[in-house]
Amino acid sequence: MKLSDLKVGEKAKIVSIHGKGITKRRLMDMGIVSGEILIVEKVAPLGDPVDIVVKGYHLSLRKLETEEIEVEVLS
Amino acid sequence: MKTIVVAVVGNPNSGKSTLINAMCGTNLKVGNWPGVTVEKKTAILRLNNLIVHLVDLPGIYSLNPCTQEEEIARDFLVKEKPDLIINVVDSTNFERNLYLTIQLLELGIPVIMALNVYDEAKKKELEFNIDKLENWLGIRVIPTVATKKDGIKEVIGAINEMGLNSTSPKKLTYRDDVEKAVKIVEDALKVANYPIFQKYPVRWVTLKLLEGDKFVMKTMGLKGDEPFLKDAKSIFNKFEGHDEIHSMFAEIRYKIANKIAKEILRNRGRQGRDLTERIDRVVLNRFLALPVFLVSMWFVFKLAFDFSTPISDWIEFVISGFILKWATYILELLHSPNWLISLTTDGVIQGVGAVIVFIPPISVMMFMITLLEGSGYLARVAFVMDKLMHSIGLHGKSFIPMLLGFGCNVPSIYATRILETERDKKLTAFLVPLMSCGARLPVYVIFINTFFQSHGATVLWSLYMLGIFMAIVLGFVLKKTLYKGSVPFFVMELPPYRVPVLRDLVFQTWQKLKHFVVKAGTYILAMSVIMWFLLNTPYGIEKHNSILGKTGRTLSPVFEPLGFGTWEASASLVAGLIAKEVIISTMVQIYGLDGPVEKRNGNSKLSQDLVEVGVSFVIALKDAFLNLISLFKVKALSTEEDEKENPLMGRLRDAFTPLSAYSFLVFVLFYWPCVIVGIAMKNEFGSFKIYGQLMLVHSLVAWLMAVLVYQGGKILGF
Repeated sequence: MKLSDLKVGEKAKIVSIHGKGITKRRLMDMGIVSGEILIVEKVAPLGDPVDIVVKGYHLSLRKLETEEIEVEVLS
Repeated sequence: MKTIVVAVVGNPNSGKSTLINAMCGTNLKVGNWPGVTVEKKTAILRLNNLIVHLVDLPGIYSLNPCTQEEEIARDFLVKEKPDLIINVVDSTNFERNLYLTIQLLELGIPVIMALNVYDEAKKKELEFNIDKLENWLGIRVIPTVATKKDGIKEVIGAINEMGLNSTSPKKLTYRDDVEKAVKIVEDALKVANYPIFQKYPVRWVTLKLLEGDKFVMKTMGLKGDEPFLKDAKSIFNKFEGHDEIHSMFAEIRYKIANKIAKEILRNRGRQGRDLTERIDRVVLNRFLALPVFLVSMWFVFKLAFDFSTPISDWIEFVISGFILKWATYILELLHSPNWLISLTTDGVIQGVGAVIVFIPPISVMMFMITLLEGSGYLARVAFVMDKLMHSIGLHGKSFIPMLLGFGCNVPSIYATRILETERDKKLTAFLVPLMSCGARLPVYVIFINTFFQSHGATVLWSLYMLGIFMAIVLGFVLKKTLYKGSVPFFVMELPPYRVPVLRDLVFQTWQKLKHFVVKAGTYILAMSVIMWFLLNTPYGIEKHNSILGKTGRTLSPVFEPLGFGTWEASASLVAGLIAKEVIISTMVQIYGLDGPVEKRNGNSKLSQDLVEVGVSFVIALKDAFLNLISLFKVKALSTEEDEKENPLMGRLRDAFTPLSAYSFLVFVLFYWPCVIVGIAMKNEFGSFKIYGQLMLVHSLVAWLMAVLVYQGGKILGF
């Protein structure tokens, strides 16, 4: 499942990050690393980007970027 | 006396600027890093037996350069090799900040950690075991609250101590397999005796080689497929599922950060929502976000312009009234020739005035922007507006400079600094002039009152909309041409809301202002004097024979297809380079409607005039505050001067038809942005290149649009 498929309020564990290059590197530098737990906090009023909580802080990502992140929903 | 270089490094939003300001106060020097618009602050601290050169590096998340800021920081750290690093860490976001600290320790440079925002961490009942943290990392750790100057003395003390007898930090040992790979590379490099080791730290070079860092490989002339690198990399089993080995290293570093954080940090607080999250529940709520956003932007705009306009107007009133009058009086007393009086009053004093009237809007606006940035709301603006701005190739944060552009394009150009990449800054700056600024309004107003009195609002509205429409079109075109290449990522932290420190806001505003007055001042003054010469040489000649008149006549055929191929129109447009409202004042001069010089000499006494200046200042202040609290502008521009029949209007009626008047307004909307915008661009981007491109593109757009309006209108029978 992709991070972009999650609904607001859902909690998930990061499985892997696709893609290459700078965007992936930036995602990982910001703490999007496999095994980490994240929560989808909210979606911007125009539908993009989203606000997630990871490592105890808020990070916003565009849909383009959330589509690259493979996750596993936790109940 | 020993001299050392100390670099201050930390994540964005870690309170780095506040810490530096607290340490150095007014000693700080603010400039740019060479060739880029990233701010560089430096200061010299004189301690006992030690001179400290403090260098502020841009706020960064990592030393793997993904952005310009990270590249600057990395280059400074590895090339300039500071003697000491002060690592500012946001204690409420410890683990992610520690990720950077771990990379800093790889450099082998002594580090002092300022565990900042410690009061908030305490409030959140986060409990740090500082001794254990110091042991783990082998560095000094000092809790600080930069906003209250807590811990600053201790940090300075530590700098003094470590500067006099520094010790390398302890090596942070990584996983066994990493250390094994490191050993292989290190041994191989030592055998080959690469000269890079005299310049860069061994462990850092080794780790970077393992990560496949292009910069290090290029510096050493390696390709990455050397046997020892292959050997070392083969230790890692398929990079643990990553395509690129540096991803694995990011995870390794984060695991260390996680482990340390778990050991030294206890979260005794409830896991409830903090203040930031409670505010965001309203501010970023699905339905409330846009209204809240619009109201706050309206307020920013109002404060920036409605508040500063009466004060700017007052400055203009004093300069073009009081100062002009008495300067003329004094010059006449000295029996100065007429040309000198004219040069001094119309050239020099007006030129200086043109700079000074910008002081109120620029200071209010810089203050507002720093406030937005420092409070954390700027990131929310980007969050809310990103989808819209992204469609024309911009970043959500670009919304702020664009919005401010409706007031004045000049501070907008300075505001592009809030953007992260050079591309975003330049593209935004390119589109800002399409936001119809306040200086264009007087031109619209006089033409509307002359030709379109019954449809005034519609015509005015159409011009603003046309500008926005063109920004979308041009944004789209530029995205595909001049600024193509991947749109940068949008991976943005939504930092906690914080109350910015007043002294930081004032300092920042003052810096920008100083920059503007000193740098822009000289250019604008020079431009005004040049324009005076253009309009007045040879002195005393008929206006249409002056250089400007001749230029206008030469240019006029260009404007023939636009419907206003007269020398008067062309000459006014040329003069509009100084500022677009100058178009009107030039027309007044060209049509010979301004009174002769004597008019300025009233019979009033100096004391009376001084009283008037004082009274008008009080009125201006009152207006400023009234504007602030009133919902609608108390002193609207259009009611001020245009109810009475302006003598210029009659002349305009002879020279233009309604169609050619609209074509003229469209041209004024789009054509070259004023030279003050150009100077702001030079200040920000280091050269006049972008302004040159901008003048060309925008003037071309203006010409095409005006042709379209005029010729299209003629076909439609207007």
